[in-house]
Amino acid sequence: MKVLEIKNVHKIYNSSEVKVHAVNDISLDFEKGEFAAIVGPSGSGKTTLLNMIGGLDTPTEGEIMVDNTNLARLKSSALIDFRMRNIGFVFQSYNLIPVLTAKENVEFIMSLQKWNKKEKDDRTFELLKAVGLEDRVNSRPSKLSGGQQQRVAVARALASKPKFVLADEPTANLDSKSTETLLDIMEELNKEEGITFIFSTHDARVVKKARRVITVEDGKVISDERKK
Amino acid sequence: MNNLKLAWRNLWRNRRRTLITSASIFFAVFFALVMRSIQLGSYDHMYKNAIESYTGYIQVQHKDFWDEKIVDNTFAYDQHLEQQLLADKNVESTIPRFESFALASNGPQTKGVLVMGVDPEKEKHLSNVSDKMVKYRLSPEAIEKIQLDPDQPEKVKELAVLFENSAYTSNSRLQLDLGIDDKKASELMPAIEAHTASKNGSIHMGEPGVWVGDKLSQYLQLGIGDTIVLISQGYHATTAAGKYEIKGIVKIPLPDIDNKIVYLPLDICQGLFNAEGNLTSLALAVNDNGDKDIAQTVQRISALIPEDQRVMEWREMNEVMVSQMDADDKGGQIMLGILYLVIAFGVFGTVLMLTAERKREFGVLVAIGMQKKKLASIMTMEMLFIGLIGILAGALVASMVILYGVEHPIIFKGETAKIFEEYGMEPKMAFWNIDTYYIWQMVIVAFMVLLSIVYPMRKIFGMKVVNALRA
Repeated sequence: MKVLEIKNVHKIYNSSEVKVHAVNDISLDFEKGEFAAIVGPSGSGKTTLLNMIGGLDTPTEGEIMVDNTNLARLKSSALIDFRMRNIGFVFQSYNLIPVLTAKENVEFIMSLQKWNKKEKDDRTFELLKAVGLEDRVNSRPSKLSGGQQQRVAVARALASKPKFVLADEPTANLDSKSTETLLDIMEELNKEEGITFIFSTHDARVVKKARRVITVEDGKVISDERKK
Repeated sequence: MNNLKLAWRNLWRNRRRTLITSASIFFAVFFALVMRSIQLGSYDHMYKNAIESYTGYIQVQHKDFWDEKIVDNTFAYDQHLEQQLLADKNVESTIPRFESFALASNGPQTKGVLVMGVDPEKEKHLSNVSDKMVKYRLSPEAIEKIQLDPDQPEKVKELAVLFENSAYTSNSRLQLDLGIDDKKASELMPAIEAHTASKNGSIHMGEPGVWVGDKLSQYLQLGIGDTIVLISQGYHATTAAGKYEIKGIVKIPLPDIDNKIVYLPLDICQGLFNAEGNLTSLALAVNDNGDKDIAQTVQRISALIPEDQRVMEWREMNEVMVSQMDADDKGGQIMLGILYLVIAFGVFGTVLMLTAERKREFGVLVAIGMQKKKLASIMTMEMLFIGLIGILAGALVASMVILYGVEHPIIFKGETAKIFEEYGMEPKMAFWNIDTYYIWQMVIVAFMVLLSIVYPMRKIFGMKVVNALRA
């Protein structure tokens, strides 16, 4: 079952003198439960592609369909709402809300979706347990290590059971051990929850774990390999 | 996690900044309220001094008297009219006066003076001159006695010299100028009061005798029991001249009047100017002195009086002072405006920093699903919290200062007091009680805080998430 379709997407940045074709006619499909990595050198267009998939940026041309909804057709507030219900984000710098505890950060999107307290508590406990932080529920981000913060960020991204999670260089700021732990957790959650994960990364360890590797160069997909 | 809780927690993520911003709002509110209270209190005090010592709230005059203050522009006292005026619901009593100018002299000293013929009994309803008698004076003789008094501390002796010739209508002010605190007052003041006591007498209808303003008495070097000579022009160009014994010295809280006033019994004054039975004004003591009450009373009385008379209210009769106060009021408001502006820039600076610092966070929140209007409402709550902390704390502390000040006005002494008097003001700083101005100052500061929210609102609603995430 397709959760995401990217059809002939272009992204052209018009600076004052130079036109930059950051994404050049990319078409891709993602099925439910995929664990995919988009790789490529810096400036290849992978983050731009990820931003467009997440509805954070708009394509100059082409369509991005999430569950048969064309993101470009959604108005600003509807798009925000759509993102909240369908897409999870994991950022390179974790980006947790500093004034909230680990538990509150995970609950945050569920609160926006007005889940009831019991549902929120159960889901939060389930996720924090899954990422191995059930003993740090009341810690604020400043009291957590980078790896722990990124695990909370993964729990937050999965909290509302999105169609897919976009992770932009999630391991870039982590040491080897934390990277290994995080990747294991994400792989396990991917299998358990059936949620699609799409990474943008340089990290060979992520590439090694990914079951599908899409290589992008100069804004074009130059290879799309699925591992067996 | 509701918006309110999130806003409250955000407020304390940079505790120092929040406290500094709230403190700047606190000081804006505090100074605005205290400054305004002093300004309004001082105006009120000066108006009251002018009204209650001299003009009264309403006067009936000959229609030409105000423009040309000559004794020919007087009107005959009319008992029937007086009864009609007294029948008005806001008129408490009528106070007849005969006012003119004369040359006063004592030996080689001569001065133009304001001669005021009054009925001492009726005057108690308005200016109450008898209450303004100088009871104590630090005359050279009194100071000598204090210097020789072994019980008096050196500090008191030094201060007594500094205030040579100062006159006092109460012992509390004398005590203040001599730096005697309340604990020592019972020990030291009886002797000082005995050394400085001034023996004033009364003036009565039908008996020649005058009360003289303190400053005028000093200028003419006159004391109680001395004789003052008055020369002027009387009714229909007759000569007006007379000499009168000084029965008492009065200290009028309007230095300009104190410098030139001579009070005579009304009938003696009318006799001096050969205008028996005539008045220059009939001042009215009123029950309610609010602007609206006065205006309505003036309207009612205007319908009663004959054509050759007119009714004037206190603002017209104190035009110069009202203009001065208005100009001062505008100046005060400009100062407050500058204060607000400085604080507004401070608050705006904080908002600017806060917005720039959290640009990425705003981007993340919107990316993960928070609507921009919700984010904007959280920001608004944060600023309102900062504003409210400052406004409420400022208003609370200002209230304490103002309530204390209303009961204990600041009375200047020494050189400062003299400077005030040189500018024709009583050296007293009164406070105006908590009133509508209070609400206004707080509303203005709150509005200023709300205005500063416009910037983050623009930033939030115009934010491109992808750019914010790169911040």
